[in-house]
Amino acid sequence: MKKVFLSCLILAAIVSVFSFTACSKSGKNGEVNLFIWTEYIPDSVIKEFEKETGIKVNMATYSSNEDLLAKVKGSNSGIYDIVVPSDYMVKMMIEENLLEAIDAKSLENFKNIDPAYTNRTFDPGNKFSVPYMAGVAALAVNKSKVSEKITSFSQLFNPKYENSVEVLDDYRAVIGAVAKSLGYSFNTTNDAQLDKIDAAVQALKPNIKLRDSDSPKTAMLNGETIIGYMWNAEIAISIQEKPEEIEIVFPQEGCYLFIDNLAVLKGAKNLENAKKFISFILRPEISKKISEEYPYTNPNKAAVALLPDSYKNNPASNVPSEVFEKGEFIKDIGSKVERYDLIWTKFTK
Amino acid sequence: MFNSPAFRKKTVPLFAMISPVTAWLVLLIAAPLVYILIISFCTTNESHNIVFHFTLRNYARLFDPTILGIYTNSLIVAVLTTVVCILIAYPFGYIMASTSPFKKTLMMIFLMLPFWTNSLIRLYSWRVLLGKNGYINDFLIYIGLIDAPIEMMFTRGAVILGMVYTLLPFMVLPVYTVIDKLDNSLIEASKDLGAGFWQTFRNITLPLTVPGIFAGSIMVFIPALGYFFVSDLMGGGNNQIIGNVISRQFKEAYNWPFGAALSIMLIVITLICVKLYTRSGGKLDELGTV
Repeated sequence: MKKVFLSCLILAAIVSVFSFTACSKSGKNGEVNLFIWTEYIPDSVIKEFEKETGIKVNMATYSSNEDLLAKVKGSNSGIYDIVVPSDYMVKMMIEENLLEAIDAKSLENFKNIDPAYTNRTFDPGNKFSVPYMAGVAALAVNKSKVSEKITSFSQLFNPKYENSVEVLDDYRAVIGAVAKSLGYSFNTTNDAQLDKIDAAVQALKPNIKLRDSDSPKTAMLNGETIIGYMWNAEIAISIQEKPEEIEIVFPQEGCYLFIDNLAVLKGAKNLENAKKFISFILRPEISKKISEEYPYTNPNKAAVALLPDSYKNNPASNVPSEVFEKGEFIKDIGSKVERYDLIWTKFTK
Repeated sequence: MFNSPAFRKKTVPLFAMISPVTAWLVLLIAAPLVYILIISFCTTNESHNIVFHFTLRNYARLFDPTILGIYTNSLIVAVLTTVVCILIAYPFGYIMASTSPFKKTLMMIFLMLPFWTNSLIRLYSWRVLLGKNGYINDFLIYIGLIDAPIEMMFTRGAVILGMVYTLLPFMVLPVYTVIDKLDNSLIEASKDLGAGFWQTFRNITLPLTVPGIFAGSIMVFIPALGYFFVSDLMGGGNNQIIGNVISRQFKEAYNWPFGAALSIMLIVITLICVKLYTRSGGKLDELGTV
């Protein structure tokens, strides 16, 4: 009996060692280490890249920009080559000298990106980053239960929506939306404005039933809430499931925008392979495949041209470019983050 | 000295035996705690990095009315969770201790089985049951008890339900252990002397099993202060407890020093609870043996 147990143990050890080496074995043309959001790139795309180039892709995932930053700062350089930070995080990472200047404009296929998404404030001239996918936080409205036409954030304060609104569990998105409803910026650091925002956020509280960033569409779809402030991709899926009930509204004050970008870390061991991978992603037919699986807004206009009308004509997935021109990105607000956090803590008490 | 037989025979094996444990404790428990203590006196700069510049401001901020309110809410949730756990766990443990070995095993299996599933999934399933259009509301409307769905999800009650559901075994096990160990001859003596069930229970069973209730309370109360995912999932972010605030400081708010100060405060509360427990005659061993 003891012998059987021992041999099982040894076998297990051998298998695990073997599988470890199998994992880190590089392709015939080396490897590239991709660190990306969960559920953000289809396996088929990775396989196709490996097959075509002979470069092995090692993928790890994260679920927030803050996790990404913490992991990159906390590990030795060279562990990850490609990362996918959002707009404000690109700026923070550039400032912390974590990104390699790859001069993205010069990459093959960069021309496929819609100019509405390039040369934005977080990386002027796209020296470091290439737009991957984008989106906005907008309102999902259950038109069978909301009689008036929703056009603005300020309508969320209406007492008739008591305990029936849901918002993202994201303090910048929610406080920013309230700021917008008062005519301020998503990134205001003005104390007088913040006092007014604070009062307004607390006034909104009785209407909020739920704060959820993980799967906000669920509560909307099962009728728990009738107005939901969430990412457009979630709204797109909700509309797909209940087209007769759910519609998308881009509030007239302007939306919270995000662009997730491909970038290369400083000290990357596989710089050339990383550039090859980014150029590959920028190909229209590849980018189209990603959009088919994950219905975010695709900044790759050559890919959008290939996508079916059901994508192109759906404002929840193919967000109109005027929304993108009018909207605002989140910026780092320095030490005012403490004030925002306190407003949020009061709001969630 | 290093060559003496005594050293080789006694000290070397002793070191070999205890050093892995010591290394474990130092590296994984003491070092992070010391780090948390140090950064709780630090500040952050404009780009949110920790700066080693001594300040007491993080501790002063603990007395902000909003933060105090959150601590109060956490304490209310934790106390109610503990009380509900005792009310359910005591009869459960009592029945378990007085039943046949087969049923005992069966009850233990039913108690532990849900723990083989991830707690997040188990909490999500409550949403299906308690939601506005969930099974419970549907059923109540179907049998005509209510006309409109009751709001059960995303309330403080839902948070407490989730906490009780997650933490109940930590109360049942110590309570069961003490009831099981109870000397039956004492109860028989009490009955011989003419005491009824309630009198025996009040004067014999309860006083002798209080240590188990105490041990269970410690093990339910302390996690209940910090299980922020329960308040997230069941309270929909409406009934935040101190764990939520701490977790946010280490993530979106980029304020590790303040998060550290909040954690130190929580550790102090925990230590006070444990001190009260040992003062009242509880043994630390009993917290670890269940």
